[in-house]
Amino acid sequence: MTFTTHFSHCSTSCNDNSKLFSSSSRSSPAIHYRFSGSRRLCRYRINSANGNPLKALPSLPISESAADYDYDDNVETGDSHSTLSITVVGASGDLAKKKIFPALFALYYEDWLPQNFRVFGYARTKMTDEELRNMISRTLTCRVDKREDCEQKMNNFLGRCFYQAGQYSSEEHFAELDTKLKEKEGGKSSNRLFYLSIPPNIFVDVVRCASLRASSATGWTRVIVEKPFGRDSESSAELTKCLKQYLTEEQIFRIDHYLGKELVENLSVLRFSNRVFEPLWSRDYIRNVQLIFSEDFGTEGRGGYFDNYGIIRDIMQNHLLQILTLFAMETPVSLDAEDIRNEKVKVLRSMKTLQLEDVTLGQYKGFSKGGKLYPGYTDDPTVPKDSITPTFAAAALFINNARWDGVPFLMKAGKALHTKRAEIRVQFRHVPGNLYKRNFGTDLDKATNELVLRVQPDEAIYLKINNKVPGLGMRLDRSDLNLLYKARYNSREIPDAYERLLLDAIEGERRLFIRSDELDAAWALFSPMLKELEEKRIVPELYPYGSRGPVGAHYLAAKHDVRWGDLSGDDS
Amino acid sequence: MATLSSAQWRSYSTNSFPPSSSNGRQNNHRLLSLSSPVLRKSPPAVFCLQQSQGNSRPNVVLMEDGAVVTPVNPAQKKEAAIQKLEDGLLSSSSISTEELKEAAGFDVNENESSVSITVVGASGDLAKKKIFPALFALYYEGCLPKHFTVFGYARSKMTDAELRNMVSKTLTCRIDQRENCGEKMDQFLKRCFYHSGQYDSQEHFEALDKKLKEHEGGRESNRLFYLSIPPNIFIDAVKCASSSASAASGWTRVIVEKPFGRDSESSAALTKALKQYLTEDQIFRIDHYLGKELVENLSVLRFSNLIFEPLWSRQYIRNVQLIFSEDFGTEGRGGYFDNYGIIRDIMQNHLLQILALFAMETPVSLDAEDIRNEKSHTRGGVTHPGYTDDKTVPKDSVTPTFAAAALFIDNARWDGVPFLMKAGKALHNRSAEIRVQFRHVPGNLYNRNIGTDLDQATNELVIRVQPDEAIYLKINNKVPGLGMRLDRSNLNLLYSTRYSKEIPDAYERLLLDAIEGERRLFIRSDELDAAWSLFTPVLKELEEKRTIPEYYPYGSRGPVGAHYLAARYKVRWGDLGMEE
Repeated sequence: MTFTTHFSHCSTSCNDNSKLFSSSSRSSPAIHYRFSGSRRLCRYRINSANGNPLKALPSLPISESAADYDYDDNVETGDSHSTLSITVVGASGDLAKKKIFPALFALYYEDWLPQNFRVFGYARTKMTDEELRNMISRTLTCRVDKREDCEQKMNNFLGRCFYQAGQYSSEEHFAELDTKLKEKEGGKSSNRLFYLSIPPNIFVDVVRCASLRASSATGWTRVIVEKPFGRDSESSAELTKCLKQYLTEEQIFRIDHYLGKELVENLSVLRFSNRVFEPLWSRDYIRNVQLIFSEDFGTEGRGGYFDNYGIIRDIMQNHLLQILTLFAMETPVSLDAEDIRNEKVKVLRSMKTLQLEDVTLGQYKGFSKGGKLYPGYTDDPTVPKDSITPTFAAAALFINNARWDGVPFLMKAGKALHTKRAEIRVQFRHVPGNLYKRNFGTDLDKATNELVLRVQPDEAIYLKINNKVPGLGMRLDRSDLNLLYKARYNSREIPDAYERLLLDAIEGERRLFIRSDELDAAWALFSPMLKELEEKRIVPELYPYGSRGPVGAHYLAAKHDVRWGDLSGDDS
Repeated sequence: MATLSSAQWRSYSTNSFPPSSSNGRQNNHRLLSLSSPVLRKSPPAVFCLQQSQGNSRPNVVLMEDGAVVTPVNPAQKKEAAIQKLEDGLLSSSSISTEELKEAAGFDVNENESSVSITVVGASGDLAKKKIFPALFALYYEGCLPKHFTVFGYARSKMTDAELRNMVSKTLTCRIDQRENCGEKMDQFLKRCFYHSGQYDSQEHFEALDKKLKEHEGGRESNRLFYLSIPPNIFIDAVKCASSSASAASGWTRVIVEKPFGRDSESSAALTKALKQYLTEDQIFRIDHYLGKELVENLSVLRFSNLIFEPLWSRQYIRNVQLIFSEDFGTEGRGGYFDNYGIIRDIMQNHLLQILALFAMETPVSLDAEDIRNEKSHTRGGVTHPGYTDDKTVPKDSVTPTFAAAALFIDNARWDGVPFLMKAGKALHNRSAEIRVQFRHVPGNLYNRNIGTDLDQATNELVIRVQPDEAIYLKINNKVPGLGMRLDRSNLNLLYSTRYSKEIPDAYERLLLDAIEGERRLFIRSDELDAAWSLFTPVLKELEEKRTIPEYYPYGSRGPVGAHYLAARYKVRWGDLGMEE
């Protein structure tokens, strides 16, 4: 969201409908209320996403005053002339059922969607609207903190869901969809969002049909696509080229749902709005950065897709690399999507292309514990018996710029490990000439500061500091300066990444979506190494299901003078 | 755990000081006498108090895993030998010999030597409430040497049994080690004796000496006198103790508590008088705030965490606030207090000491003299803007019970950063804390999300000394949820949740340090002089002009004048913000 647009819009015209989606009610910075004087505050909603009473604004009864003006007011005046249709292509798939429909409902429930919206399911299966609703209703849930009216809201939502069966490559069927869409839009200005929840091999067909036959005549048409975006530089470039035959760059929303995670969003806030972090963010103070992702389960039936990609393509080249660029980028000119993405691309282009020796691979094997047998990767019936696809990988990356030269960025991603987690660890350098050296013993690595952003589960930020153990004498230990989200923001659920991203796409906020040149740069880093791996048929190190991963990861880290923070013992 | 820097030996030699030390003494004297606001404009001076190095002695604290300090009592003889070494050049071989001994954790002489702790003024409140319980706690935790005796000395007639009875009422055991409490208590009480006498009677102190000798049983004796008596009899007691009850074979040390005079002159006179009978290294001026856990931790935070090091200067710190408040009035202690007032009672000592620890440069080592050199250095640079405001006082007295002050340090690190102090009685809460407010983020991308009051969006580090020890760093954070709203959250370290162990009372730490000859937390004479020279001119002016303090209701947040003082230096009190 561009705040500039947002604010100027609000302060000048509250009834400007034409920009409905580009400057909507997101991001209500409530602090603004206090100081806006007589200015009419039209679009700011405080009721939903920010229900937590903020300590930063204790002096004014914000919530009441906010409730006074904004509740649904804008819907009546602002939204009545345009409509929004969200078409989920691949509506019968897992992702659609588990993530997309529930996210849409959550947005509706919290009043983020415009008044005139409809949801369309599109898939090959024959289904009636009723059957679709029945299917969806099973996965909808209401926010824990707002159970009232849940049933009713659910029914209202389902009443706006419709189904259209059709082939993914049939222009004719998409023309039928268009007819149906038009019918529901009732002649109003229409905006259309297509969510492609389908296998990559039919991306282009669907985009062609949707674009040619079901584009909006009066408003915008946007398409959300999910990974995989190709499997190397060439196939990715090819996909982009094909998409661009039918869509402009502004219409393509490449989703990386990790960018919608709360703590990933918070990364920039931490960096750029806290003076205490700003001077630390460079090679002068940071010794290394670790990006860690682990799952505590294997492929379990999803092996068919995974085996063709492997963990590097599935997690590293997109999710972890995206987080890395957000972490390492220079201060952008503004928070506008293009400014941020420009900086991210710069980081990617300053990075050293990955070499084979920068990577270590692993694959989980069967393991029996307590009488229970945990199957190995190749035991998965959807995986070839002789597969050498890595289910674990660690990699060392370097950014050759003034800020980061020489600082190792270590990534680690794996399936079937001992925990489920995603976190960013920043290890700081030693204190030069530390006065307390003698109090630490010989392992000075244990005495450095570390900043940990735990993305999941149990979102938290903590900073490990050296502290005197209370008592007589002088003993030091590492304590945490803690911010556990559960404890600080207890009453509300953190929204699912899909909610945030869907809303951003509806509002045309591109900050969290991946631009074509970003994608190219990301692939360029990984493609040569991936090619070599496949050509040489490099065999991954085996590790037991549920273990801490192959020891090779430790050797890779040691090579760069790094110690994995998550396996260091004082942090489980 | 390693020993605490035995490398400190080296730091005694002059050549280990940084080159900046060449400014020397002259400069120092000039600046220390400065007091008027004009002086703020004087160029930042660099001081180094090299002349006081002669007093330095080794301080060795050995530690074990259980956070228990093993006391090592270097005997006087050993010290004498060390003194010689210091005077000459230290050879590396002698260092390693010492290190070996220290590392071994014992001294061959130790079993032979004894420590006698005489509490002068044993029937007083402080003795009952703090000193005896602290001694017991040290004994309980095994921190006292094998041969120790505790003597009570006061004018009242009392038997040993009566003293023990009195002492026993205030002893408590650590929560985490209740076993054997009764037994330990009895053992401790058996080592407590009483001697009654006048504070100015050589004869009576001679009698005490005899009694002490009896208990020492021919062992090498070390004697610690704790003067828990009114300041007007300090000198008498010191004179008698020194001339009639000094240890013949070991060290003799004297702990004195504030007040150390009431201005530069009286303080200097007191120091001069003390020095007639004692050398600098026998005098232990206690400031019990320096024994507080989080004050001790201040240096650890600063010097062992890389993330704080770059932030500790005018470049990032906007202001520092030192806040002390009590939620009760003088309630009976008014007689003493009225003569001193809150500035002398709290600011000039406790808060100023904390300020000096906060603002000092990195010391050469953790050795006492290095740290105290840096503190003097800091203090030397502080000048007072000539303005204290806001005082309140009962009835016809104009003694302030509340004061706020802005201080500045004219050196390269702190030029222009206001250090605000605030101390008061009968306020709405009881607390002591250090607040460090950081500057705004230049060109903050999120300004629009913060609104117009950017002061609400700066980082703040809070070190809460009491109650409920805690450290927290206020950071801007995205409020979870859709949209982009920021608020200030805390990165928290609450001691009660992190450390289950009971935090020792400040007096325990300080008594132990005095027994071990660790001077880090005690105030050197030149430090005291410098501290008084900062405050004396203002205090004099206040009294001459009989400046009337502003009133504030009992239990309130103090006079509003404190806000105006802060506003003048573009500061907002962190403790009275809406968030707290």
